[in-house]
Amino acid sequence: MSNEKKQLKMLAPEGFREKLSRRAFLQGGTALAGFALVAAACGSSDGDSAEGGEAGGENLASGDWSRVVNQSSGTLAMYTWGDYNDPELVGALAASTLNVTMKVDYYASNEDLITKLATSGGASGFDIVVPTGPYIPQMIEKGLIQKLDKSLIPNMVNVDPNYLAQAWDPTNEYSVCKNWGTVGYLYDTTKISKEMTNWQDFLDVCMGEASGNCAVIDAAPNYCGAWFWANGIDWNTEKVEDLDACEKFLVEEFAQHIKAFDSYPSTKLAEGAYAIAMAWNGDARQAYVRIEEAGGNPDDWKWVLGSPETELWMDNYCIAAGAPNAEAANAWINWDLIPEISIKDLSYHGYHTGMKNMSTLISEVAPDLTRGDMIFFGDDQVATMRTQVITPALDRLIDILNKSKAKAGG
Amino acid sequence: MTVSVAAKFRSKTRAPKYLLAIPAIIWYLVFFAAPIAFIVLYSFGTKDTTKLLPVDLSSLSSNSYSSVFDETFFKVFRATLRISIVATIMCVVIGLPVAYFAAFKVAEKWKAVILAAVVVPSFTSFLIRTVAWRIPLAPNGTLSKWLVDMGYIGSNGIQILETATAVQIAIVYNYLGFMILPLFVALDRIDVRMREASKDLGAGRIATFFGVTLPLAGPGIIAGVLLTFIPMCGDYVTATVLGGAKGNMIGSMIASQFSGAQNWPLGSAMAILMIGAVLLTLIVGAAIFWILPRLARLASPLMQQVRRKIHERAASQVRSEKIQTRVKREVLSKVLAIWTVLVLIFLFVPILLVILHSFNAGSSFTIWSGSTSLKWWGELFDGAESFAVLIRFAVLIAIGLIAKTYFKNKTYLSSSLKTWIVTGAFVLALIINGVITNWYRTIFDFAGIGDAIRNSFIAAFGATIIAVIIGGMSGVALARRPGGWTKAFMATVFLILVTPEIMDAIALVTWFPRIKDVPLIGTIFSSGWGPFNGGINKLWVGQSLYASAVVTLIVRARLAGLDESLEEAAGDLGATPARAFRQITLPLIASAMVAGGLLSFALCLDNAVISTLLSEAGSTTFPVALLGATRSTIKPFWGVGAVLLFMVTLGALWFLAVLLRRGGDSASKIAATFTGS
Repeated sequence: MSNEKKQLKMLAPEGFREKLSRRAFLQGGTALAGFALVAAACGSSDGDSAEGGEAGGENLASGDWSRVVNQSSGTLAMYTWGDYNDPELVGALAASTLNVTMKVDYYASNEDLITKLATSGGASGFDIVVPTGPYIPQMIEKGLIQKLDKSLIPNMVNVDPNYLAQAWDPTNEYSVCKNWGTVGYLYDTTKISKEMTNWQDFLDVCMGEASGNCAVIDAAPNYCGAWFWANGIDWNTEKVEDLDACEKFLVEEFAQHIKAFDSYPSTKLAEGAYAIAMAWNGDARQAYVRIEEAGGNPDDWKWVLGSPETELWMDNYCIAAGAPNAEAANAWINWDLIPEISIKDLSYHGYHTGMKNMSTLISEVAPDLTRGDMIFFGDDQVATMRTQVITPALDRLIDILNKSKAKAGG
Repeated sequence: MTVSVAAKFRSKTRAPKYLLAIPAIIWYLVFFAAPIAFIVLYSFGTKDTTKLLPVDLSSLSSNSYSSVFDETFFKVFRATLRISIVATIMCVVIGLPVAYFAAFKVAEKWKAVILAAVVVPSFTSFLIRTVAWRIPLAPNGTLSKWLVDMGYIGSNGIQILETATAVQIAIVYNYLGFMILPLFVALDRIDVRMREASKDLGAGRIATFFGVTLPLAGPGIIAGVLLTFIPMCGDYVTATVLGGAKGNMIGSMIASQFSGAQNWPLGSAMAILMIGAVLLTLIVGAAIFWILPRLARLASPLMQQVRRKIHERAASQVRSEKIQTRVKREVLSKVLAIWTVLVLIFLFVPILLVILHSFNAGSSFTIWSGSTSLKWWGELFDGAESFAVLIRFAVLIAIGLIAKTYFKNKTYLSSSLKTWIVTGAFVLALIINGVITNWYRTIFDFAGIGDAIRNSFIAAFGATIIAVIIGGMSGVALARRPGGWTKAFMATVFLILVTPEIMDAIALVTWFPRIKDVPLIGTIFSSGWGPFNGGINKLWVGQSLYASAVVTLIVRARLAGLDESLEEAAGDLGATPARAFRQITLPLIASAMVAGGLLSFALCLDNAVISTLLSEAGSTTFPVALLGATRSTIKPFWGVGAVLLFMVTLGALWFLAVLLRRGGDSASKIAATFTGS
């Protein structure tokens, strides 16, 4: 009998019995109960979601708005950029209002999104995806996104017509504006003495005062765009001499001064990693909150909108081809276009969501919104912003970025 | 029947030697060899973004290779190589004293403690450990501010982050455990009498170390180096999180070509060149280690003269030397002990930081807000619901234990039945709670983390089961039925271990769309089967490759060390091969399979690169989700998730150790099982 036990090497009963005395059990049990009590006590506390300004969900906007809410069911899977929606809007609030359970996954570039959708052949399992405008035509062509059901999205009338009917989707059959934004940079005035106002200043300071202490966005068009804009060249250029000149400067002179290629520098800025960083306006706005949290002084930091030219990008809600729950997707997009919900989202991520009468809306629904100058831009500023056009030159730009990374790696 | 006829009859019906390895062979052919072959094919194609799979194979050319053979690729590869080689050497230098100390200088009980202390940190999520390094090294962080206040460093604070140094530290940290374990096993294996004999023959301690200990531990050291160097070459995640621009490794270049630039031919060409370069480095390294002893031997007449002179001088000082030796030995032990403690502290600090920061009141994981809060833990539990669940659990287990004590003295029940009462009570508690309240769904249904953890477990379980089955069977076949096929199979296993994860990942991602039209297999990976969606199935395949290779090695090593006579006796007594396998072989390798299963479970839980590229909605795992978060913001509840995973793997590890311990295995044997030797 005992030989068998040894050979089988399985659990033997004796050891357990000896170890478990009544005292041990009571102690263990009490600890367990104690932990459960603690867990119960803190289970009801809410996580803080609004960063940089409360949304004031109770205030209703005045005026003629469409506020249709379509109930749905099941699970809704969203594939989007990181930290791009108020957690409640893709969580508890969505569940209670629309009766859908949401799952969110993240990607870091449009190409990642396209590769993911293409290689899963329509079975990616995602419902809502959020591509940037210029990439939508190729996604339509490859059959990666399907048409919206506009009968399920009556709230689309709330969107400012300026942000509908874009070049990539003139009839909004496939997409609707989620938000738009721009790019600029944020710098620490205590570490950089120069007064900075444009892209040339950015390039100069990164090679000078902030050498080895600067970050650029990890995306080829933006990175190369900084040089094109500083030199008055169209950043969508396909001319070989422009691209060569760009490569010559960025790879040979500029790259060695870069500390990091970082598309979301807000957290690391607060950690003290950079003195200056290229950033999208919403992320730069969030940086102020993080800096304050880390015990720093937000007033030391200054945001500069890129000039004389900069980017205008728009991210859009689309529905993936083969989406398991297209009905819920339409319902959610529709719900997100209600002004109060849209402003709640805006207060979280800090980008202009394209609603009508934005200034009146903000003053009514979110009067406490901070740093509005980083979200809303005047007509004169918008006039300097340029949209990306996808050209064959993109390969060259990516090559310049990779070469810069290799050079910066030392 | 006459003997010769019987022999002929038997040889016709005898199964081929590689019978047991057939599942593994088929698996590797379909999911490793074929996909990689396609990658090789793609490397000769051209980029074509009008297609869904953006490769144009109509005209093959070697353009991609010529564009790779430029300055950029080699510069990045040199940087990667430099970091990996330096990190490997540092791991050996840091780890060898610890392994030496544990193997030779401590009692059996402490061996187990030290080994556990080394292994346990390796079972935390690799990504969160890496992120945790940002906490002490942040220029604005607590440590940095303290150092600035004390005047030790300049006012800019700690400037290690976003440099190659940070990457170096983190890589050494992440792989140290995987170096110490094989080193310990190798040193522990050495017969103590060899070393004693060497000393009796007059060799000093240094001579013994270099002349006896090190050569005998040689194979183990090589195993440790392989286990660390090769993954380091392919690891780019660490560098991305900590290294900034200086952390540009070849793996990230390949990944970016593949998804970012959508240039699959270029990415494929880079991946193939990378494997070639890694193999070349290994060959060069092996050649160096092959040449060195021969060079030493050439110089041996000279060495002998020197040694004779030293010995002559020493003989006249024997008495005083004996006292000095004893003093030196104690000093050495103390130094080694202090070193070991320091290394253990180094291994545990980030873990403690992760636990601490999961209680951070602020919204960022790395930036300490100055106050603690339970809100991130609170979000994991739903208050009254889980309290009720825990009470139910406790009640059911209490009933089970009371029943056991009651039945303790009732001898009419067999002891195995009594064992299973508690286990049964636990399982019953799980089922009842699950069925009645769906508690697991409530607890885990927390956007992002909960799903990710659940998917991590499902993916790791499935991959582990596959790995244990096919790996176990191949291990048995390799140990018991070696033949001509062994070389080819071992070469495949070695290739799987050597191939960087990114290459496996891109191979599989391009492979699955190709086979989706194959009748049965295709639907498994697109629409899934049963409750498991296609994405989970893909993860099972992707994670099982490396895991099954590991299990194969572990089982083979364990079985090779055991006498075949038991199995032969079973045959002599009339058991069929199948019965002998089931009743004799399987129990013998049970512990090895469990160890292999646990190791592969831990590896699969932590798998990031393959999982990222293969994941889909509903199959995102914890490391993948965390990797996504590192690109934007990391909230403290990632720490919560990491701690949960850590506790589960810790529990499983403890369970395994108890299991092996009951079977009479010492700490050394347990460690040996884990490293496949």
